[in-house]
Amino acid sequence: MTLAEKPARARVSHYSLAALSERFGLGLFLILLLVVAAIASPTFLVPANLLNLLTLAAPLGMVVLGQTFVILVRGLDLSVASLMATVAVLATAFRATSDSVIPLIFVAAIVLSAVVGFVNGWLVTKRGVSPFLATLAMMIILQGARFAYTGGAPISTLPPGMAWLANGRVLGLPINLWTLAVMAAFLGFLLHRMRLGREIYMVGANPRAARLNGLSPDAVTILCYVICSVCAGIGGLFLLGYVGTVSNWVGQGYELDSIVAAVMGGVALSGGRGSVFGALMGVAVLIVINNLVILLGFPVEAQFIIKGVIIVGAAAFYRTRLI
Amino acid sequence: MTAIAGVFQRHRMLPSYLIVLVLLAILVVTGGALSDRFLTWRNFGNLFQQMVVLGVASLGQTFVILIGGIDLAIGALVGAVTVFLANFLQWQPDWIVPAIAIALVGSTAIGALNGILTVTLRVHPLIVTLGTSSVIFGATLMYRKEPGGSVPAVFEELAYGDIAGIPYTALALVVIFALAGLWLQRTRSGRSLYFVGGSHEAARLNGVAVSRVTILVYALSGLCAGIAAIFLVARTGVGDPRIGQTLTLQSITPVVVGGTILIGGRGGVLGTFLGVLLVSMLNSMLNFSGVSSFYQWVVQGVIIIAAVGLHKTRRE
Repeated sequence: MTLAEKPARARVSHYSLAALSERFGLGLFLILLLVVAAIASPTFLVPANLLNLLTLAAPLGMVVLGQTFVILVRGLDLSVASLMATVAVLATAFRATSDSVIPLIFVAAIVLSAVVGFVNGWLVTKRGVSPFLATLAMMIILQGARFAYTGGAPISTLPPGMAWLANGRVLGLPINLWTLAVMAAFLGFLLHRMRLGREIYMVGANPRAARLNGLSPDAVTILCYVICSVCAGIGGLFLLGYVGTVSNWVGQGYELDSIVAAVMGGVALSGGRGSVFGALMGVAVLIVINNLVILLGFPVEAQFIIKGVIIVGAAAFYRTRLI
Repeated sequence: MTAIAGVFQRHRMLPSYLIVLVLLAILVVTGGALSDRFLTWRNFGNLFQQMVVLGVASLGQTFVILIGGIDLAIGALVGAVTVFLANFLQWQPDWIVPAIAIALVGSTAIGALNGILTVTLRVHPLIVTLGTSSVIFGATLMYRKEPGGSVPAVFEELAYGDIAGIPYTALALVVIFALAGLWLQRTRSGRSLYFVGGSHEAARLNGVAVSRVTILVYALSGLCAGIAAIFLVARTGVGDPRIGQTLTLQSITPVVVGGTILIGGRGGVLGTFLGVLLVSMLNSMLNFSGVSSFYQWVVQGVIIIAAVGLHKTRRE
């Protein structure tokens, strides 16, 4: 499918058990989960519940799309959750009671996110800071700035239309789901059908070879960090619409969840391998598991335990290595 | 910055220690100028109470980073141990020694498990410890959602007591770091950490049991987390499942500030000690100067970036 994937594919037969399980394992796992969930609770497969799950999954899906781009170029973004909350706080800074400022909020959020992404990418490529530390530091800085602005207290001056972003329906489906679909289609097209996508895979698979082929690995990498942050910023606004009030910790846990979902969806932490579709499958599996934990009568905290086991298991399954 | 780094590079000096020392000196002078109470014995006592927890946790992180790994489970483990100690001692106040023994054995075992998973699954430690951290945190939360439990007054002596005016916490910190330094520099097993961090393959070819060293190092990190938790619970008096949440990341800052580079093989405990001193004094000074504690996060983030960016410059 892509230049980067060819060598890996050539070693394994298309029909070997390993190749088959890597291609269809997650899909089968998802079907298994759905069957278990349907048995565990008769209300699970009711359209209203499924729609509810999808609404909940949409903001996470947006973040995972972005995280995928960063992981493809051998990176990692731990600042996404902190950025989501910062964008949410930024939305309150307008102190608006009418919906007319919502476009302005979106523009401001995207600009802020792009700047954050650029700084992350610049630190990683031009200063040689490890992605882990650069985005960790960014996470702490955003957190400090956010708390310094709010003084630690939650705020709720939001235009009423923000709630509509999460609950409104078009053709029977939630707005945030439509938005996710548009973002996924656009980014999927960019990644799998455009020249830039091929360059991203090449840079992720082998930066040196990419450079020798006339590409600019640094520019491609920075762009991936910008895409990641912008996705997280948009995800933050939609999550804000979903939860309604701005706490300083809105989105907390999304950094872990987005990495778990992407890794589960087959995006290799060693870079250069994975797809938008796989990443979204990872989101579906994660959301169903979280729901299943509740349906089976376990306490919510058990989600942490199950997520932890899954992240290690999935990483071992795909034999991913992180640079 | 680049120019300064270049000078150090030409003269083959250890810039990280010197930079941290210079920064420390600046801190002491400005802190003393800002407040009369900053350079008092009492403030240093307070400083050590906070430093011992961060210091011991960072020491464990230093070992792990030296071999090129990372331990993200430290915070969750510290939280779990504080919950265990506060609950156990509330129920059996006299069993302080057995409680401490169980806590240390347990945290060492969990640390070793991280090492074993890393070695056997061949998954990057970032992922392994992220996973185990999530499991430990979830299990602790299932047991106790809110801070609770208590420890006997004798136990709190650990945090607040002193011998001849020297706080126990200061003594413990210095002794633990001295032992760790001696072990790293003077023993075969300690030095093998540098081999493993430098190159797994070269270490293996030179007869170093890489897997065994890896497991040992993560076990030590677990032990350090257990010790840190003991001092933490002695200070706060309660078990809090969430108390370690920021500690994992905080434990990385002094290590990288002290010059132990993330790809492994270079650095040491003296750098970490200076890093801990710098971070703690900085926070203390920000408190004294009335800066909102929220800005301490900003400062910490900037320090990480500056430190890591500077070390990178040096390596090239």
